[in-house]
Amino acid sequence: MRTSLGVLLAGLGVLFLTAPVAAHHGFDTEYDKDKDITGTGVVSKVEWTNPHMHVYIDVTDASGKVTTYNLELTSPNAIQRQGWNKNDLLAGEKVTFKAHAGKVVESRGALDSLVKVSAPKQEIFKGQRPEGPGSN
Amino acid sequence: MRKHAVISGTVAALTLLLLVQSHAQQRGQGGGQAAAPQGGGRGQQGVVVGQFGGQPVVQPLQRGADYRDTLNPNDPAMSGPVPRMPDGHPDLTGPWMGGGSDQDMESDGGLKKGELDALLLPWAKAAKAERSKAIYGEPYIYCLPMSVPRVNPYPWKFVMAYTSKGLQQIFLLHETGDAGAHRVVYMDGRKHPVDPLPTWWGHSTGRWEGDTLVIDTMGYNDKFWFDAVGTPHTEKLHTIERWTRLSYGTLINDFTLDDPATFTKPVQMRFVARIVRPGIDLMEYICAENNQIGIAGGYLDKTDASHIGIGGGPAQPDGKK
Repeated sequence: MRTSLGVLLAGLGVLFLTAPVAAHHGFDTEYDKDKDITGTGVVSKVEWTNPHMHVYIDVTDASGKVTTYNLELTSPNAIQRQGWNKNDLLAGEKVTFKAHAGKVVESRGALDSLVKVSAPKQEIFKGQRPEGPGSN
Repeated sequence: MRKHAVISGTVAALTLLLLVQSHAQQRGQGGGQAAAPQGGGRGQQGVVVGQFGGQPVVQPLQRGADYRDTLNPNDPAMSGPVPRMPDGHPDLTGPWMGGGSDQDMESDGGLKKGELDALLLPWAKAAKAERSKAIYGEPYIYCLPMSVPRVNPYPWKFVMAYTSKGLQQIFLLHETGDAGAHRVVYMDGRKHPVDPLPTWWGHSTGRWEGDTLVIDTMGYNDKFWFDAVGTPHTEKLHTIERWTRLSYGTLINDFTLDDPATFTKPVQMRFVARIVRPGIDLMEYICAENNQIGIAGGYLDKTDASHIGIGGGPAQPDGKK
């Protein structure tokens, strides 16, 4: 019974997450929600800063060229309130990410999903995108 | 498998029920009266939590991140009694989320689409159109104050400051420093200054009308935006907020927007705030610390705000800055 209720609530949650949310802090001017960037690389820096948190990931391509992706999240306070803390992601960890690309600077993105390569099923900072479309 | 089908069916039925309820609420509230505030904001699905001023009071269901840290509108604690101060006044402390404009004042305040825009004077209509093309002009995204009646998706609270003379001042604190460190409402009977220098928060005096806290504010500057779509105003702005705690979980802001240099007549709106869930309080938020707005979108040509000196200083023992 408990499981059914959980699934039911999760189902309701998914339904309401689809409600459109207008831009906040300029999401639509900064990022292209239809242009995804993905990659696997090494976390070089995690900034628990205001107004929004940033995670920097170094991705090395086949030729050895390193691109640093700067991914924006929501406020560190909002993220802490959902139970995350500074030990959940550390510099040096290998991760795979998906993000909405910056409209002009593609190496900047609004984080969509992030997992450690060591635990690919456990999404880190789940649902903590910058305020904007689907930010919940 | 069968269990999943049953659950999916239940979810669909519940959703349908909520949608039907919501439409019925909107019809009921909007009927016939052009300026009747709907009180739930943004026309989304909501739960009727009571009646006030002849209108149903609607708490929206989940709306993005905004209500993530509040009680669920269906939580029985929401309808609990209004806590009171030793002098009998309602305890308005909170913290609260919502209760003001943010994305679009018109829909946030329960107005119909086009209803507020129709009242804009020609210059204001043109200004709003211009701002919609210049979203990077919004002062708030540079960590400047939101002012009244704006809120963002973070908690805020009233601080009722009693002295030996009773309640002398009420402070409004928003978690974000960019909301302006604090706003003061004088409860000691003083009047507004004559012809004050315009400021971001203006000059606010408050009084009780029964259990309703009435805040009257003038002396605003014209720099802040009411919302992300740039609804404008002038220094002639005068606002009246009527804050009523309906129950433990619901706080109503019946808001009068009066700016004869921007709107053809005063506008009445209703915003509804919701109590945060247990354990939530305001946290430190220093907005200007690492604000990278405008870089990803190409508006500002900077590689990385963390490389421009903010938060720099001597190297740390581990060699990092």
